Amino acid sequence: MLNRLKESDHKQDYHALNAMLNLYDKNGYIQFDKDKEAARQYFLEHVNQNTVFFHNLEEKLDYLVEEEYYEQEVLGRYDFAFVKKLFQHAYSYKFRFPTFLGAFKYYTSYTLKTRDGKRYLERYEDRVVMVALTLAGGNKKLATSIVDEIITGRFQPATPTFLNAGKKQRGELISCFLLRIEDNMESIGRSINSALQLSKRGGGVALSLTNLRELGAPIKHIENQSSGVIPVMKLLEDAFSYANQLGARQGAGAVYLHAHHPDIMRFLDTKRENADEKIRIKTLSLGVVIPDITFELARNNEDMYLFSPYDIERITGKAMSDLSISEHYRTFVDDSAITKKKVKARTFFQTIAEIQFESGYPYILFEDTANRANPIPGRINMSNLCSEILQVNMASVFESDLSYRHLGTDISCNLGSLNIAKAMDSSDLGATVETAIRALTAISDMSNITSVPSIAKGNHESHAIGLGQMNLHGFLAREKIHYGSPEAIDFTDMYFYTVTYHTLAVSNRIAQERGCSFAGFENSAYADGSYFRQYIEQSWQPASEKVVALFARSNITIPTQEDWVALQKAVAKYGLYNRNLQAVPPTGSISYINHATSSIHPIVSRIEARKEGKIGRVYYPAPYMTNDNLEYYADAYQIGPEKIIDTYAAATRHVDQGLSLTLFFNDTATTRDINRAQIYAWKKGIKTIYYIRVRQAALQGTEVDGCVSCSL
Amino acid sequence: MNTMLHIANPICAINWNRMEDEKDLEVWNRLTTNFWLPEKVPLSNDIPSWATLIRDEQQLTIRVFTGLTLLDTLQNTMGAISMLKDAETQHEEAVLTNIAFMEAVHARSYSSIFSTLCLTPDVDDAYRWSLENEYLQKKAASIIKYYKGNDPMKKKVASVFLESFLFYSGFYLPMYWSSHAKLTNTADLIRLIIRDEAVHGYYIGYKFQKKLQKQAAAEQRDVRDFAVSFLLDLYEIESKYTESLYDTVGLSEDVKMFLHYNANKALMNLGFDALFPSDICAVNPAILSALSPTSDENHDFFSGSGSSYVIGKAVATTDGDWEF
Repeated sequence: MLNRLKESDHKQDYHALNAMLNLYDKNGYIQFDKDKEAARQYFLEHVNQNTVFFHNLEEKLDYLVEEEYYEQEVLGRYDFAFVKKLFQHAYSYKFRFPTFLGAFKYYTSYTLKTRDGKRYLERYEDRVVMVALTLAGGNKKLATSIVDEIITGRFQPATPTFLNAGKKQRGELISCFLLRIEDNMESIGRSINSALQLSKRGGGVALSLTNLRELGAPIKHIENQSSGVIPVMKLLEDAFSYANQLGARQGAGAVYLHAHHPDIMRFLDTKRENADEKIRIKTLSLGVVIPDITFELARNNEDMYLFSPYDIERITGKAMSDLSISEHYRTFVDDSAITKKKVKARTFFQTIAEIQFESGYPYILFEDTANRANPIPGRINMSNLCSEILQVNMASVFESDLSYRHLGTDISCNLGSLNIAKAMDSSDLGATVETAIRALTAISDMSNITSVPSIAKGNHESHAIGLGQMNLHGFLAREKIHYGSPEAIDFTDMYFYTVTYHTLAVSNRIAQERGCSFAGFENSAYADGSYFRQYIEQSWQPASEKVVALFARSNITIPTQEDWVALQKAVAKYGLYNRNLQAVPPTGSISYINHATSSIHPIVSRIEARKEGKIGRVYYPAPYMTNDNLEYYADAYQIGPEKIIDTYAAATRHVDQGLSLTLFFNDTATTRDINRAQIYAWKKGIKTIYYIRVRQAALQGTEVDGCVSCSL
Repeated sequence: MNTMLHIANPICAINWNRMEDEKDLEVWNRLTTNFWLPEKVPLSNDIPSWATLIRDEQQLTIRVFTGLTLLDTLQNTMGAISMLKDAETQHEEAVLTNIAFMEAVHARSYSSIFSTLCLTPDVDDAYRWSLENEYLQKKAASIIKYYKGNDPMKKKVASVFLESFLFYSGFYLPMYWSSHAKLTNTADLIRLIIRDEAVHGYYIGYKFQKKLQKQAAAEQRDVRDFAVSFLLDLYEIESKYTESLYDTVGLSEDVKMFLHYNANKALMNLGFDALFPSDICAVNPAILSALSPTSDENHDFFSGSGSSYVIGKAVATTDGDWEF
């Protein structure tokens, strides 16, 4: 095996060519051509030689259906003549992967392979067509639009959809699941089962631990009985390691805990470098829910009280996650029936920053900010594995055999992202958004997670989706705008403003077509029109000439106040089909395939070293970068937290859910710098913070010579 | 009894606020922020990948790691400690004890890899092999000779060669695997070790150069001649060691390129010119890029912890920070 590898290694195999991207040439230039050559070699030496050959499309599709690779039901909804035309249409674009990582990632992780995993049964175009045929559900026009949008790179469905659609043996098409856990054994047991079931089918799972009674709380009125949240985290961590989707992707999970839960400091300590093995949490992601009151207490340098969720529920009749701690804080402090302990509020924030230095965790959800911006009745009390999903949920009640006495609702979300640069190159941004929203809606409509009925119910009632965005930095750099500059923020604001208008307009049209809105629409800020006030009462226009020109170049119209008035009326009359519409995910894998910069972040490095279980360490060049425009490719560590927060703040005010916001620091930063960035983010109306990343420069004298990613 | 207390050799408490050599503090800070333990890396994620290696590849991997364990053990129990008595500052002593401890952590890490991925009989075999492998024992013996000797300069040369040269025939393999999408979490752990060894080799080399500058030209020449001829001796052994390991899988030629490259780096750490011409140092770019000791890697939450996080400096916020 190694001997064989060795032969293809001879001199310059594609891995070596790709790695040369990370090494300067003799004149100090980045060797972009080597990566292109790597992509070419990869096809010549590997892909083409390992692709199963068919004489024609009919033979191929018959074989794949017969051998149970493809779903007959998907193809059966169309006549063969159309299917053939659609494949031809897709191939007519002459798609080529612009980077090695894009091609490598696609063939390693997405394309359909023979069951022994050795030979490829699909090219990129085939995958795109199968995704389109699946999502369009027999609608030829929609199928064609989806092919057009994906293959031009304007729209890219998230991994679970792009990986699974059309395949017979597959996981779910949905990206994300969020589950509540209530304070009883039935709920804990059921949630571990759900974690297993959902991991098996793909997607990340987040669970809220806020309602679980704390360490030492009474059980059946006997004091000092409960073991708190840590053992539940351990169980979940093991459950996630056990389950994976046919080996395609390892199960991954997150847990959220409220800042005022008595176990909060223990919860954070599970990520300490020197934590004892019994309590150390290695692969589970952590998130903390922080209300406004905690910031106030820290400002006044006061203690923060932590309240027993067991007592809160006993006294108020409500679970801790179902009420606002900011609102009840003083009452709870004065209520002797609620067991409490205290820590210094500033110590709490500093501890968070310390742990973030060591582990990158926890994520943060600014609870009150998220709820103030939420147009939907109910409470947002948790987020998901990537901290961009913000939706309301309702508790379930279980019988002792784990069946439901009362079925609540839990959250799921399917995602897909637009490539901002490509979308801005097209004259009809509205049409791109329309196709994307209809594709995502189709995923919600065809999903029915029967193994977790509360998820199925939530999806069925909400039709929640999350349209994301990527390639902001790539676009800005191409247009010679510096990330975080006033023009960049102006553009971000106007882009999200315009996209938001279109997402609502499409969802309104779907509601009209089907005569159906999401459950609870009548009580939402959309129904009473108050949501629209921000757009009707003031005019939104680009502040700079440059941004006006960017929109004018492709004749993209910016919605006017009159447009919003009309939309408000249409929504009042016909409703909205989707309860949630936008969420901006971090877009790891799909942005490599699509050749975009991730999400609306700055690049992490001009040449990014990407490591994943399946692909190993591979190098990736930032989109549109050449040796002549490097000045626009400052990386996230150089750009610093403030400009990133400003950019996200401009987008956040238009996005109904959240945005995965990572903050980047050099190792000269201290916990205080991290805390200051968090305070700034909270002040600017950011809803969630995702990872904290710290970059350590090599000690002078120990660097690898001529390495692009090492030079700071 | 009112005798005055007379102490012949009073022990001096270390004072980090009076530095004689700022480099000691810089390296101390670097080493302490880099502190890590193997438990941090989710090695068990590599179990499926380990199963895809064929028997020969698994045996090679276990042997390579056993060889590395032996070198780390040597550096932990003898190397860093033997240099203690030559230290010129108390801070240097403190740094050396840190180095000694981290070498113990490294040696410990390989056992974590073994216990996670391998079967005990296979590991026992490899330990037996390490006792019997002529070249491995020979290179250890060549280094130990100087650790046991009394020449502080030679001791440092031996130590830099160990840290910056001898380790790398072993480091090659996990980097090779990770560039082919195998054992990527193990590679993360090895990259943490490389990150440490790079600093160790650099620091000891720096102390060596400082001492060398104080010597007369003739002495300097002698030391240089010693270093070059010692390196060539080690290279001889190392080539054979490499062949004994990597011939079975056909990678020896490639590993040797890597040996030349690192031999040159070791000499440069000592302040000497490179020995091997650049055309025989053409390291596979996939390996070279993977070596980078900076924490520049981007990884996804599905795969592992990466080799990037550090222990931060805690500073309390002030009232001004909380103005809103």
